[in-house]
Amino acid sequence: MEEQTSKYLCPYCSTKFEAFEDLKNHALAAHAGEPAPLPEGMIRLTINGGEYQIQVQPEWTLNYLIHDKLGLTSPKMFCDRGACGSCTVIMNGRPILSCMTLAIECDGNIIETAEGIADAGHPLVETYVKHHCMQCGYCTPGFITTAKALLDRNPDPKEEEIREALGGNLCRCGTYPQHPKAILEAAEILGNSEGGE
Amino acid sequence: MGNLRIRPYEDLKEEGMYNVNADIPEITYHHIGKRGVRRIDGYAKASGKAVYTRDVQVPGMLYAKVMRSPYAHARILSMDTSKAESLPGVRAILRYDDPEIGGRTLNGSVGGPDRMAGQFSGFALKPESVILAQEPWFEGQAVGAVVAADTEEIAKEALRLIDVEWEQLPFVLDQEEALRADAYVLRPEAESNRIIDIAERDFFELGDVERGFREADKVIEFKARRDAHLWAGAEMPSALARWTEDRLELWNHVQQPYAVKLLLSEQLDIPMNQITMYSPYQGSSFGERGNPADFSINGMNVLAVLTAKKAQRPVKLLFDRAEKFYGESGDMMVSYFKVGAKEDGTITAVDMKNIFAVFQCTPGIEHLLENTRIPNLRCDAVTADVSKAPAWWDRCEQLPNTFCLTLVFDHVAAELGLDPTLVALKNDGCEGHDMAWLSKYKNEHGFPDKDSLKECIDAGKKAIDWDSKWHPPGAEKLPNGKMHGMAFTWDHEWDDVRGTGSAAVWMENDGTVSIVAQHSDLGVNPWTTYCQIVADELGVPVEDVTIKPFDGDHIFSLMSPDGSCNLCSNGFIVRKAACKARAILLDLALNSFEGLKVGDLDLKDRFIFEKKNPENRKAIKDIAVLAMPMHNAVGTWTEPPIVGWAWHQHGIWGDAIETGRPRLCRQAHFMQVEVDTETGVVEVTKVVNANDVGKAISPETIEGQMYGGTYMGVGRALTEEMVWDPKTGVLLNRNLIDYKCATILDCPEADTVIVETQMGHGPYGTVGVAEDIATMIPALLGPAVYNAIGVWVDDFPITPQKVLKALGKL
Repeated sequence: MEEQTSKYLCPYCSTKFEAFEDLKNHALAAHAGEPAPLPEGMIRLTINGGEYQIQVQPEWTLNYLIHDKLGLTSPKMFCDRGACGSCTVIMNGRPILSCMTLAIECDGNIIETAEGIADAGHPLVETYVKHHCMQCGYCTPGFITTAKALLDRNPDPKEEEIREALGGNLCRCGTYPQHPKAILEAAEILGNSEGGE
Repeated sequence: MGNLRIRPYEDLKEEGMYNVNADIPEITYHHIGKRGVRRIDGYAKASGKAVYTRDVQVPGMLYAKVMRSPYAHARILSMDTSKAESLPGVRAILRYDDPEIGGRTLNGSVGGPDRMAGQFSGFALKPESVILAQEPWFEGQAVGAVVAADTEEIAKEALRLIDVEWEQLPFVLDQEEALRADAYVLRPEAESNRIIDIAERDFFELGDVERGFREADKVIEFKARRDAHLWAGAEMPSALARWTEDRLELWNHVQQPYAVKLLLSEQLDIPMNQITMYSPYQGSSFGERGNPADFSINGMNVLAVLTAKKAQRPVKLLFDRAEKFYGESGDMMVSYFKVGAKEDGTITAVDMKNIFAVFQCTPGIEHLLENTRIPNLRCDAVTADVSKAPAWWDRCEQLPNTFCLTLVFDHVAAELGLDPTLVALKNDGCEGHDMAWLSKYKNEHGFPDKDSLKECIDAGKKAIDWDSKWHPPGAEKLPNGKMHGMAFTWDHEWDDVRGTGSAAVWMENDGTVSIVAQHSDLGVNPWTTYCQIVADELGVPVEDVTIKPFDGDHIFSLMSPDGSCNLCSNGFIVRKAACKARAILLDLALNSFEGLKVGDLDLKDRFIFEKKNPENRKAIKDIAVLAMPMHNAVGTWTEPPIVGWAWHQHGIWGDAIETGRPRLCRQAHFMQVEVDTETGVVEVTKVVNANDVGKAISPETIEGQMYGGTYMGVGRALTEEMVWDPKTGVLLNRNLIDYKCATILDCPEADTVIVETQMGHGPYGTVGVAEDIATMIPALLGPAVYNAIGVWVDDFPITPQKVLKALGKL
């Protein structure tokens, strides 16, 4: 019976509490230096370098949170069920589908969107423009995030590896042959700038 | 007042009407035709900061969803919304029997009785023109109710809570079955399921086909079939409506925002000056957002607007991916051909019967007419009503025409054992006339007299190495065990002869330039291209020119590719407007060039200079700074603003003789495939497009349409197919996992060859290209597979199962 009524579990020592306030006081006293526990439904995210603390509903997808609630328009809904890659964001270094991810499960994660990649001056954005990797442009941010995640883990990709990495991104306008060119050029720019430092 | 113009309206019209080749440019190209011009929309799109309709939110906005029929044909006997109404978060429910929507039909008045009119569209031909139905005529039709709620999830949950008592009714899926004498007739008041084409395209005849068959050395007959595929554009449609007292704002993913406004005004009795239309970035359209009278535009808008009125809140009606599978698929056809030809490849007669389901985009015969010298043609084009959502144009309405042209020419070449490129050259022409007739036309109208088809064929053959790779059917087995096949097809470039639009070109006080006109960008890089034209006409760098396309509250409106014509019309419009602005600028500049006339001056690199003495020059910005739209009157003398606006009518649809504008540019396409005869899998290994685009204004943009069209075309030919359950009439693959679009891993090498003869009817001799390739490529797979395995598979898409069946292995 006690199991059912104890709502709050200390993330550091598993002590049980009836009220959130009790848990919080305990954590602050017993585990000083660790992040304080959050109320139910509250999550912390780092998005494009900025810190967020947000109350979410259990059914919210990460896409709904980022796109509809935070107003970052880059993760697009194209297929609405994990088949197109247009909603891709980078989470803890990996490209993930934000429409297939529940926001409530993302507490503590680091997220990058195409806006953040552009604002940071990543060369991919300009090489994408140069090589006409967009036509209608709706799927383009999903390609940018996927490509950026690829370059982060593989700074010198072969064309075949690029095609493999982009295999989950649909583009109905058919811009496909341009993406490897833009990504290879961005890799070269990044390589040169690192070599020069 | 002595110089008041007598007929100002007629003057405007005269100035705006296109005259064949009256428009020969005299400027030097700086940006036009150059590679490396930075896309004006590139950063916004790559960074994700471009705002599409789906992205727009306004304060207090509700989300709305519409109910869809679970049955292929049924009737609502009763509907109870009480449980849905009591769900927390539900703000309004619009019912099919509410007075403001009950029985209301789609409005198709715009355009009158032509192909863009609603009464001609697939939806309007059938009882689907009721916007919110009680009796659905296909599975997936909007029926019953619209719910507006705080979130999309609540709206969906509310729809699930609506109790509907249904009466299920019989249905028919196949068009040939629907036309049988004993078929169930879908519409109780009709005698049969045949739909009469109101544009009278049901029958066409030129010459005497029976005589043509008598003159032929060989007469061949064959049957072909083409099933439905979908545009599947990236952005799922949505409409956001906001009322403020009696003023309506509407955000829309649509190609013709002004037509949308007119239709709504008529339908809902809203004065046009009380409606503001916004057309943000558009997540692809392919012509499917191009019929303002169709359900997914007009119907969706009416539902959003009325629900917003009822809820007294802004409402955004959202369609999900599955909903986008209902309506606006490509048309479906079964074709029976009889073709007569002489041994040398001269085609003497073509007789065809085409049977369409729900809607015929085009009858199928038109390119054999517009594009060849074949003297005897006949076409029966019959349309049957079936229990499927209405079809519409899928990137291009010419698909039936290209399908028939390719299969006719390639069957003839195969039967005669001739190289198909030779058969094409043998029959090239226009409406029964030969190349001599076309040469005369070209010479009389100031066009270069070039053999466009030959230039395209020569360039394409070289790119794919045709002469060493093409072989008799079934003759080449590759080392990997697969059969190798090569195929060729051709056509004219058809995107150049119609449309109307308007725009202003305004030079601001610092000498930078804005193109002012609402315009829906479909992704074909139009804005950069317009800026290139304006920059060259005004002698400024392209970086100094931009466009203001989103707001609909000014009068100017450039056409999107409606009627298959974008740049060919809009290029003229922005060019004319720029020329007028240029004339005003030079006139103003005369104050600073004493003793000179306008004709003595020219513009280049942000300077106005004397032609005879280029050292005598003034910076454009130092002239433009005087011309202010407004300024306080204290101590500053100002001049009127430097702005020119133009309207341009490029023409209407019609045959070459009728319009006086035969198509002079040609395109040639080549495909190489490998067929695995054990599994039936076809792999397209290379495609070459050789397009005579007349004049390339933005080469990268043209190439984008070429390889992009190739991938869409290969998808249509191989994998894209809508599948209905014959037992229930339910569409089975209404998602992008089971409906298979090409990914980067599925794409063959696509080689793009640009040919420029300057024989187009667009500005600078250009002609459009964006519709062509996706429309040409699908049928080309048939002859390619035939060349590989020696057996025809005239049933599209060509799936492994059909290949194995043709090989007698199934």
